[in-house]
Amino acid sequence: MTDLVMPKFGLTMTEGLLTEWHVAPGEAFRAGDILFTVETEKVANDVEAEADGVLAEIVVPEGETVPVGNPVARLASAKDDAGSTGEQTKSARPDQAPHPAADTEDAPSARKLMAEHDLAREQVTPTGRNGRVTKGDVLRVIATPLARSLATKEGLDLHRVEGTGPMGRIKARDVEAAAKLSTSHQPGPVTKAEPAHARQIVPDAARLATARRVSAAKRDIPHFYVTHEAELSALTALRRQLNADADGPRVTVTHMLIRALGVALTEHPAMNRIWAGDHIIAFSQVDIGMVTQTPGGLRIPVIRDAGRTALDDIAAQARDLAERARSGRLGASDVGDGVISISNVGMMGVTSLTPIINPPNAMILGVGAERQLFRPDETGAPALRREMTLTLACDHRIIDGVDAARFLADLVALLETPLRLLRPARGTADPNAGE
Amino acid sequence: MAETRYIKAVNQALADAMEADPTVFLIGEDIGAAGGSFKATRDLLERFGPERVYDSPISEAAITGMAVGAALTGMRPVVEIMFMDFTTLSMDMLVNQAAKARSMFGGQGSVPMVLRTPHGGGLNAGPQHSQCLEAWFAHVPGLRVVCPSNPADAYGLLRAAIDDPDPVIVVENKALYAMKGDLPDDREPIEIGKGRIVRPGRDATVVSYGAAVAMAETAAETMAKEGVEVEVIDLRSIQPWDEGLVLESLTRTHNLVVAHEAVEAFGVGAEIVARMADIGFDQLDGPIVRVGAPFAPSPFGKTLEDAYRPDASQIVAALRRTLA
Repeated sequence: MTDLVMPKFGLTMTEGLLTEWHVAPGEAFRAGDILFTVETEKVANDVEAEADGVLAEIVVPEGETVPVGNPVARLASAKDDAGSTGEQTKSARPDQAPHPAADTEDAPSARKLMAEHDLAREQVTPTGRNGRVTKGDVLRVIATPLARSLATKEGLDLHRVEGTGPMGRIKARDVEAAAKLSTSHQPGPVTKAEPAHARQIVPDAARLATARRVSAAKRDIPHFYVTHEAELSALTALRRQLNADADGPRVTVTHMLIRALGVALTEHPAMNRIWAGDHIIAFSQVDIGMVTQTPGGLRIPVIRDAGRTALDDIAAQARDLAERARSGRLGASDVGDGVISISNVGMMGVTSLTPIINPPNAMILGVGAERQLFRPDETGAPALRREMTLTLACDHRIIDGVDAARFLADLVALLETPLRLLRPARGTADPNAGE
Repeated sequence: MAETRYIKAVNQALADAMEADPTVFLIGEDIGAAGGSFKATRDLLERFGPERVYDSPISEAAITGMAVGAALTGMRPVVEIMFMDFTTLSMDMLVNQAAKARSMFGGQGSVPMVLRTPHGGGLNAGPQHSQCLEAWFAHVPGLRVVCPSNPADAYGLLRAAIDDPDPVIVVENKALYAMKGDLPDDREPIEIGKGRIVRPGRDATVVSYGAAVAMAETAAETMAKEGVEVEVIDLRSIQPWDEGLVLESLTRTHNLVVAHEAVEAFGVGAEIVARMADIGFDQLDGPIVRVGAPFAPSPFGKTLEDAYRPDASQIVAALRRTLA
C-alpha cells in the first residue's frame, strides 16, 4: 500500500482543494487515468495515475482542503492486489463494489454516499456538469443554526451560499449577503414569475472556480496598467522568413512574444519576482504562462525557462502545451510558477485587452490584434505601419509604475529589433542582480 | 449614595439584617473578637454581643451542623467559612441535611440558613485557599447559590439570602473584598435568580459572575475599539440562574461566551452552554465558547497563578472565536 499525496503545483501552492474524485474506493485504474481534481488559487488540475493500481481508501473527501504532501488516498498497486489477502481482494474487486447507480455519470463518491444514506438519485439536486450528482450535493452543508433558520425564512438553498466562517462554515452574514444578491440580481422568482425570455442556469464547477479566482485576484491585487504600441514590420518579416523554412516549427506572434518576454525578464531580473503575502519570491528562471481557452474553461500552461530556450523550442513547447490543455491532459508540472502570463486575443480582431492578473503572477500581458495604419514619418508624410497594442497589468505591491514602463518599453524594443530574439539574453538571470 | 468597599458592604448587610431580625445570628471561626479573617464581621461582637456573634471551634462540620439545627428550629444563622476550600468539611450537613430537609419533611420545615464563604485566587494563597467550588453546590437540588460582583450586589444578595427561607450559599470573591463601589442609601435586597445586563451590546453576549464580570467589561471595552459591541451579563445568582435573560440576550446577539474564574471543565459555564445549545439552538451563529481556569490545581507562585487565572484577554480571544 502506498499513499497518494496532494501534489504541489508551483512554488506558492501550500494547499489544494480536492474538488472531485474520479475513482471510487476499490476501483482499479490504469496509468494515465484521472484520479482526482485539485483546485488551487490558479487553476483546476486533474491528477493522473502514474502507474496501474487500485484505489484502496479515500482519506480526503471531496470539498476538503489539505496541505501539499498530505496523503489524500491509499493505493494498492496492481501487484499488491493480486497477492493480497482475501479480505483485501474482496474490497478491491471493482465488480463487487456496491454501486447501485454505477451506470450514471455521477461522481463515484457521490454514488457511494447516496447508497450509504439510502438516498434515491431523485432526492438529490445535481449541480455537476451534464447533470451529474457530485459528492457536495449529497454531503450536508456546514452552517450555523442561525444561518439555517435565516435561509429557511428567505427561501434560500444553503448549497448555493458560500460560507465565510471557519472551515467554510456558513454564517448568518453569508445568508444575508446571498439573500441581498438574489433579490438584487435575479428577476425574483419568489416575488414574481420568471419571465419567459430569461432562465436560471447553475454554473458548472469550472465556471465557479474561475469566478472565485478572478474575483479574488481583482479584489486582492492592486492592479495598474501600462500600454505601448509595438511596430511589427520587422517582426512580421522575420516570422515570414522563419516560417518559409518548412523543416522548422511554425512560429506565431505569441511564440515570439513569449520569447521576447523571456529575454526581457532575464535582462530585468528585478521584475522576475512575485509578492507572496509576507515575503517576495525571486525566480532564477523565466517561466511564462499562456492563457488558453479550452472546452473546460481557462487553463494556463507554463512555458519553462523562456529566457534560455530558443525560439523554435518555445514554439514546439507552446504548441504541445496548448494542445494538451485543450484536450484536458495537462500534468502537474505544466502549470504553476512564473511571474507573468500572456493573454492574446488579437485573433478576434480586438484592439487591446486589459487583463486580470492570474495569482500568484505579478503581471499579465494583454495582446491586441495586429493592424495596419498610417503614422507620420520623419518628414511628416504618412507611412504605412503594422502595429499591435500591448497592455501590461502589474501588481503594485511589488512593481512600481516606472519599472513597469521601462520593462514594457524594452519589450517593445525587442519586438521592433526582433533578431535579438534569436540571440541569448544579455546579462545574467541571477535574481539578485537587479538589487 | 455612599462609596464603600465590598467587605464593608458585607458587614453592613450583616448588621442591618441583625438589626431587622433578632433570629439572625453569626457563627464561624475568628468572627467575633478578631472580626473575621477578612474583617467581614468587624465590630459586630461589640454591637450585638456573644450570643449573636459566636466564635466557634475550628470545625467546619460542627459549625455547619449547628447552623442547620438552629435553622430547623426557627433561627436564621449566617455561617462564615473562612475559605471556600474548607466547605468540603461542611458538605454532609449541607448536601444531606440542609438541602434535603424541606422535601423530606413534606414542606413542614425548612432551613433558612446562609453560608458565606470567599472563593477565588489572585492573592497567592495556594491550591487549598484559592478554589472556586460553586458548581458543587449548584449541582445540589435544595441549595441556592449567589455570587456578587460588586459592593452593592454584595449587600443586596446577602440580605436576600438571609431573608430566604431555604439554605443559600453566598460566594464572595476574596480578590474583590477591597473593591470600591456605591452603596445606595435605600438599600434593598436583590432578588435571587435574576441577572443584570451590565453593558448592552448587539454583537455578542458574555455571561459572567463574580470577578469575571469586571474581566468581561474590560474585554467588551477592547472589542468596542474594533467596533464590536459586546453585551455583558452579570448572573448575580448561579442557582437558580437567569436563563430567560441569557436567552433573550442571545436572541439579539447570536454569539455567546461564558466566563468564570472557576475551572472550566464541568463548571457552571458548562450548564449555561448546554442549556443555550438546547433552547437557544436556532439563535446561534457561532460556537459557544467558555473561559475558565485550566483543569489543574491553582498554583502558588505569582507568575504561575497569573497565568492560571482567566483574564480579559482570554475573553477577547473567546469572542473572536465565536465571531469568526
